[in-house]
Amino acid sequence: MTSIQRSLHLFGVSTEDLKRLTETALSKGGEYSDLFFEHSTVDELTLRDGEVNGAGSHIDYGMGVRVVSGDQTGYAYTEITTMNEMTNAAKAASLIALESGKSIPAADITPQEFKNHYPILKSWEESDISSRAPFIKELNDKIFSLDNRVNKVIAKLTNSTTQVLFYNSLGTLCSDERPMATLSVTVIMQSGSRVENGSASRSYRMGSEFLTHNLIDEIAQEAVKRTAILFEAGIPEGGEMPVVMGAGGSGILLHEAIGHAFEADFNRQNISIFSDKLGKKICSSEISVVDDGTVQWNRGSVNFDDEGVAGQKTFMVTEGYLTSYLHDRISASYYKTAPTGNGRRESFRYMPLPRMRATYMNNGTSKESDIISSVKKGIFVDNFSNGQVQIGAGDFTFFVKSGYMIENGKLTMPVKDVNIIGNGPKALADIVAVADNSYIDNGSWTCGKEQYCPVSCGMPSVLINKLTVGGLQQ
Amino acid sequence: MKQDNESAAIQIALETAEKCGADAVRITYNKTKHSSYTVRNDKLDRLQQATGSSLFLQLYTEGRYGTFSTNRMEGEELKNFIVKSIETTRLLTEDPYRSLPEKSLCYMGGGADLKQRDPGFSDIPLEKKIEIAKMCNAEILGKDKRLLNVNSEYGDYEDHTLILDSQGFSGETDQTNFTVSTECSVKGKGDARPEGWWYESSLFFDDLKYDGCGERALERAVRKLGARKIKSGKYNMVVENTVSSRLVSPIINALNGANIQQNNSFLNGKLGERVFSPLLEIYDDAHQPGAFGSRYFDSEGLATHPCPIIDRGVISTYFINTYYSKKTGLPVTIESPSLPLCTLSGEREGQNEKNLEHLLKGAGNGIFVTGFNGGNTNSSTGDFSFGIEGFYFENGIILYPVSEMNVTGNIISLWNSIFDIGNDPRKASRWLIPTLSFDSVDFNGF
Repeated sequence: MTSIQRSLHLFGVSTEDLKRLTETALSKGGEYSDLFFEHSTVDELTLRDGEVNGAGSHIDYGMGVRVVSGDQTGYAYTEITTMNEMTNAAKAASLIALESGKSIPAADITPQEFKNHYPILKSWEESDISSRAPFIKELNDKIFSLDNRVNKVIAKLTNSTTQVLFYNSLGTLCSDERPMATLSVTVIMQSGSRVENGSASRSYRMGSEFLTHNLIDEIAQEAVKRTAILFEAGIPEGGEMPVVMGAGGSGILLHEAIGHAFEADFNRQNISIFSDKLGKKICSSEISVVDDGTVQWNRGSVNFDDEGVAGQKTFMVTEGYLTSYLHDRISASYYKTAPTGNGRRESFRYMPLPRMRATYMNNGTSKESDIISSVKKGIFVDNFSNGQVQIGAGDFTFFVKSGYMIENGKLTMPVKDVNIIGNGPKALADIVAVADNSYIDNGSWTCGKEQYCPVSCGMPSVLINKLTVGGLQQ
Repeated sequence: MKQDNESAAIQIALETAEKCGADAVRITYNKTKHSSYTVRNDKLDRLQQATGSSLFLQLYTEGRYGTFSTNRMEGEELKNFIVKSIETTRLLTEDPYRSLPEKSLCYMGGGADLKQRDPGFSDIPLEKKIEIAKMCNAEILGKDKRLLNVNSEYGDYEDHTLILDSQGFSGETDQTNFTVSTECSVKGKGDARPEGWWYESSLFFDDLKYDGCGERALERAVRKLGARKIKSGKYNMVVENTVSSRLVSPIINALNGANIQQNNSFLNGKLGERVFSPLLEIYDDAHQPGAFGSRYFDSEGLATHPCPIIDRGVISTYFINTYYSKKTGLPVTIESPSLPLCTLSGEREGQNEKNLEHLLKGAGNGIFVTGFNGGNTNSSTGDFSFGIEGFYFENGIILYPVSEMNVTGNIISLWNSIFDIGNDPRKASRWLIPTLSFDSVDFNGF
């Protein structure tokens, strides 16, 4: 039995059913329709106060029907996949086309296979709580052994497997098994009356081979290091200053400052600050930025997106030029270009939208140490918790959990808990040095544009001439 | 909402859990129905309709505890899921603090109707819903050449929740909600395309005030044109009632039992102490009929009671559920506030109008914050730093928009510098937090 046949069986539908549903969806008009079936199982294990004593399992099942008419979208979903319920959903979605009057019949079915970017070595079904819990306990014990100021540890392992069956009116029929594994920990440390908290996580599209002793060691070391430094840190004096963004998690800058503004739904509506910048030089020639759905086991990778388009690597900025927006089928049609595999959704309850995957900047030629040395007074940041952007105004922010002041070219006082704000186009143009140490941060990054999607980000260390750093005034 | 397979699913769940040896069980059944219609400029852009249901189980067996959920409620499949859930729970380490709540603390019924559900929910024609969204756009389309794009959305949902536990608690809630919102973008000189939005929300369709939604969104977008960064310094801060809850949520989070027990709260050990300015009162108005958030019981079945949260700056309560009560030794209260109402101390029943205009005049000069852009609060220390957008004002008069700035400080210090609290909370919100005015706050600009 092929994977597509197994999926058809799982959802209790035949290829004839799929075609009939699509025809119903397009019965009132519209150029395109798709069906997205999803079955997901999520298992959680939680450690608090030294014991693995919380567990959860969650099943979610359903299918969504979408009808596209021009740039209009009708969407309906059902949690019951009988033909009757699915036909009702198809009829509800079809209402979008009432104003259009155009109609294109569904094409013949063409099963498609895609390259697998997340091969599972050992499925989660092969490992039960008894084999997973010791890793979480080991994480707890390791953290307590690293610093006697550790007071509490909260750890959580979440693993999920999502089965997807996709069919559209162009005839594409495909299926996918999407794993995800996340281990996250929060550490509370106390020194005298002072309490600080820090966290660390790793997340990959992997089976149970995800759990290794090396992974536990890596997360434990990082969580303790990130928390311990906070006892030495203070809130800096705020204001405009040069900012050195350390390699890895600083990719949040790309996600917030430019990534969202490059998502083509905002641009086709002319509301992004980058709406009229396609093909133009927007930053230094040393900068190339990629959104990539093909990084093996990466949290943001997709074999095919939620519109049946192959996962791919999209160069958004090439040597300083804005070369591509991130497209779903609707925006690609508007711009008369090919979709870029960025049509993603949180679940069958949502219609797809242009979303990022793994967004990173390629290496430059500078050395991080030289970049830091070049700054007389500024700040170095490499540990973040969250960010946000205003698409039209271009103002973006990210919250710095910890970093260091730079004084006369050297890292000095640790700093913490400050927000950094800048303006996307200005900040991008203000990147004056790019180091050669790019890597992707494999923390549990999640993007919240209307719906939640797993993503990741990465960057080499860069120097931005001027951003506004939060802080106290003298 | 009609409960079709609800009884059957709950019966299977209870029987199966009991048969498999669960010592106690809580079942929460939820059913929702929602629709939304988005009009972009002059045509329908998105239409969404759906219904859904789910069964959430909390299982207590052999001193162990697990949580499970599924939306697959067919007989055999549901039975198998529960059998597997109990097997999973048995593999955990014992947790002696887990149990159902003390029965005497649970809601016993008999409360008056809290007016949370519009019985006419299903009678509203689709055409009317689309027309409302179109009317919002029509208010501003073609009215200002700087307008680039406008989206208005009508949305509604109906929620039915039933909670049952094995010691006999049974509680049911039904709620409807109607919203309308407009978002628009404008462009003046330069590349920036500032956005403006407005929304209204109500529990009853006839109470939904959609007139003027589009106009307010456009006004809020246009007034942001030409925003600038100003000099870093200490400024008085007035925070609009649309976003003022952002400054209350760190307090509510810090009062949460899990954060208290995990030593991850800047209010740990402060129960009964005066921590904030005596001007501050936050009251949980849990039983206000016709208000978002009003309820007689929480997700454990614990009865809610109108009560002070912060009384003249003193911490009056933590939010302690059964589990964290047993872990901390603190008495059970409630898992979270229902309808927090923030006022000047002693003015909860006050009738004298005190709105934005009054607060701006009272503050004299400063920054009027209309939006927060990212940022966060350290839950252990209360230190915060948020991006902001808003306006610079002098002598109570708004002069020009500001952007690309941060506000930074500590939640305890901030609320000790509270200067005035309006009495204009937005009724469309679950938390009733009015316009707020603070003295001398650190802003970071150039």
